[in-house]
Amino acid sequence: MLFGKKKEKAKLSVLEEEQMQSPFRTIIKNLLENKLAMGGLIVFVSIFAMCFILPIWFHQNLNYQDPTQKNIGPGFSFLAVPAELKNNAEMIAFGPTFGVGVDKDGYIYEWGKLTDNLKKLPSNMGKVQDIAVGQDHVLALNEEGQLFTWGYNRMQLNKIPQELKGKKVRDIEAGFQVSIVVTDTGKIVFWGNENAVDIYPPKVANEDVKEVKSNIQTGIALTTDGRVIPLAKKETAIDKVPEEIQGKVEKIALTDKSAAAVLKDGTVTVWGNNHEDIFNVPEEVQGHVVDISAGRNHLVVLTDDGKVVSWGGNENNQAKVPGGAANASKIASAYYQNCAIDENGKVTTWGLKGYLLGTDNLGRNMFYRILKGGQMTMTVGFIAVIIQFVIGIFVGGIAGYYGGKVDMLLMRLAEVVGSLPFIPLALILSALIGNKVSDVGRIIMIMIILGVLGWTGIANMVRAQVLAEREKEFVVAAKALGVKERNIIFRHIVPNVMTIIIVSATISFATCMLTESGLSFLGFGVAEPIPSWGNMLNNCRASEVISQYWWRWVFPSISLGLCTVSINLFGDGLRKAVDPKANER
Amino acid sequence: MAKYILKRMGYIVIVFFLLSFLLFGIFKMVPGDPARLMVEGQKMSVSPEQYEILYQQARERLGLDKPLPIQYLSWLSNILRGDLGYSSVYRIPVKDLIGPPMRNTIALNVVYYIFLFLIGIPLGIKCAVKKDTLFDTSVQIATMIGISIPFFISALVFIFLFAIVIPIFPISGMVTTGAEYTGVRAFIDYMYHMALPVIVSLTGIGGLIRYVRGSLLDALSMDYVRTARAKGLKEKTVIYKHAFRNALIPITGWIVGSIVAIFGGAVIIETLFSWKGVGKLLIDSLNQHDYTVALSMQMFYILLGLASNLITDLCYCIVDPRIKLN
Repeated sequence: MLFGKKKEKAKLSVLEEEQMQSPFRTIIKNLLENKLAMGGLIVFVSIFAMCFILPIWFHQNLNYQDPTQKNIGPGFSFLAVPAELKNNAEMIAFGPTFGVGVDKDGYIYEWGKLTDNLKKLPSNMGKVQDIAVGQDHVLALNEEGQLFTWGYNRMQLNKIPQELKGKKVRDIEAGFQVSIVVTDTGKIVFWGNENAVDIYPPKVANEDVKEVKSNIQTGIALTTDGRVIPLAKKETAIDKVPEEIQGKVEKIALTDKSAAAVLKDGTVTVWGNNHEDIFNVPEEVQGHVVDISAGRNHLVVLTDDGKVVSWGGNENNQAKVPGGAANASKIASAYYQNCAIDENGKVTTWGLKGYLLGTDNLGRNMFYRILKGGQMTMTVGFIAVIIQFVIGIFVGGIAGYYGGKVDMLLMRLAEVVGSLPFIPLALILSALIGNKVSDVGRIIMIMIILGVLGWTGIANMVRAQVLAEREKEFVVAAKALGVKERNIIFRHIVPNVMTIIIVSATISFATCMLTESGLSFLGFGVAEPIPSWGNMLNNCRASEVISQYWWRWVFPSISLGLCTVSINLFGDGLRKAVDPKANER
Repeated sequence: MAKYILKRMGYIVIVFFLLSFLLFGIFKMVPGDPARLMVEGQKMSVSPEQYEILYQQARERLGLDKPLPIQYLSWLSNILRGDLGYSSVYRIPVKDLIGPPMRNTIALNVVYYIFLFLIGIPLGIKCAVKKDTLFDTSVQIATMIGISIPFFISALVFIFLFAIVIPIFPISGMVTTGAEYTGVRAFIDYMYHMALPVIVSLTGIGGLIRYVRGSLLDALSMDYVRTARAKGLKEKTVIYKHAFRNALIPITGWIVGSIVAIFGGAVIIETLFSWKGVGKLLIDSLNQHDYTVALSMQMFYILLGLASNLITDLCYCIVDPRIKLN
């Protein structure tokens, strides 16, 4: 040995050991010496703790879906404003996963999760004056009045319409796969995926439009005489613009389900759908508001003394304005990202930075789903093992103690259940019964199927142990004392074979977790939207998911793999610790 | 012996009846009317009265107009006579549907088991002989990981590595699309598509390795091995002639059990690789609510499980005369 001779521990034989210390202490000692088993235990306990403790602070609605946030890779780059822009910004606009900024020299910067098309900036843009960012495209206006667009290139989105050639532009806006331009005659030009967003330009054909705002469904327009006109053809929640504000509106903003207007006297009016308590405008800002901006479900206002105040939805901290945002002169918000720029061009950002493990195909946070999925997989596994054990100990105990006909009958039963093909039967039961029950009922059903079909191994083991124990003196003594047979089996014999039962339980737990994941993976186990490690992998079979959206399958796989490997390592170590003689063969 | 086999056969029959009764009951609980499904297509072309007549005829043809016990008995007698019913999705008798998937499953499983035994048994022997060496420990850990990781995860990893990053194998399917190969070329193409499913299945080889290792270690701890060594026999002779032959008894059971298992498709592997075998047929029929097919497949799997049990037991007593039957 390198570090001097290791102290030779007096190695005891098994018999000597048993004389010197209780079997329980021997087990603990053997287990502590087994590095693999202890490593497995530590890994499992940490995964378990993470899955059950972290969601207490980090809570999300499982039914939550957000198409604008789908398939985003892991990372926290949404608000990573480049250093060159940080103290020199003119304006900033946000897309769902990225940001675009213009510095004081009119130069464009992009950051965040950018698609390849977004990275292809047009050349010779000159000095950029205004930018608008949509779902995954950008529209820019330079000081000569020229328009540029790049990013998503289907649906004619990347082609500036002919009718805009030579016209002066008053305002630009980019929405979900659509672009909107207001010319200096107050007309709006709208192009892109016209089916995705309900905007109907003829509604403002006779108006002098000043600016347009859009969300992922529709848009609203503000005219030069201070009136707000919804642009949707269909009826929407924001159609009912309060009459008393018409003619007095200075600025407008649009969240998903509501619209807000800043009036000439500096007050804010919100109408539409009162989601996330968005109608509740903070009292202290009323009368002082100079600018307003909106994300998906929150509003941000800038007051005349440079203060920034925000309210509404706060699940991604998008309404939590940091202290650094004082003395702002401009604000910008979109989706869940915000920034404030002060007079010197210093940028302060807040809101959604990104996702630790990315998002899935419905825009759900993978990290949260892995934690909740772990809870589900482990709970199902645990309860299934409990069911297996209750049945196994009961059947095995009775069969072993009574022997004879009872034994034969019960063991035949065990043999039949054991020879049933597990996965096909579980599939069929889940498919037939699962349609009729609720989500929770389905989970309970999976636990019961796993439990009721998997007890035979344990029953055999308990039976063998009870057969060996029932002739021992303590059983004879208990019989002589007149203890009830039921108590002899379950109070006297079973506790004596408990260590071996526990070893078996550990390994069964891992097996149950694997089976549950397999069923859920095939779509016959835990059903969406409730996550389990198996059903998270269910829609990752397509080759483009495997290659492009790797985070969607790699992280759940690692969690499940790590968990089952560590349980099995621990179980194996435990088996060796309980039965050291098995080692020596 | 004959008495024992008869007894076991009788027992299989009883279990089979019980389970068929249970499954039939479960399937009857499923909402949906197969007769309605059969005549659905003609609804537009005929008058309502004629449609009703057609529907009643279909009910009669499927036997749905009779009480449940009669339905059960006729279904069972049909199954026993080889008439497995009528697939409501493919619109052909189930009997004609099962042939090609069965061939695919058998082909996949035969190749898999050949590799399984060719790799698993020698590795298990080596681990037992070199017990507690670095080699043994690393194989033990590797097999532990292999057993603990489910097939769908190893499949995703292997697809990613060997079909996407280094595209040497096809992602899924059984033939190269568009290529009309014949003869030897078609066979090679078929085997080529089989490679990845077989490799992924082999990640579960740890079970066999551990089993062989355990059996051989048991045999090596016997007195006759000590005697053989004391006689001064070569270690090779001791291991292969004395110990391994005895260790073969449990291993033979395993091998015979897997011969029966060849007919049952691995559901997850076949689904993942779109291998049109029996397992995929079961999953597809469940997804398409084609319950006649699902029920037949289920009965088939149950029969397979029971038969496998019996054959394994019989095999034990043939190879080891010490085991007494009853």
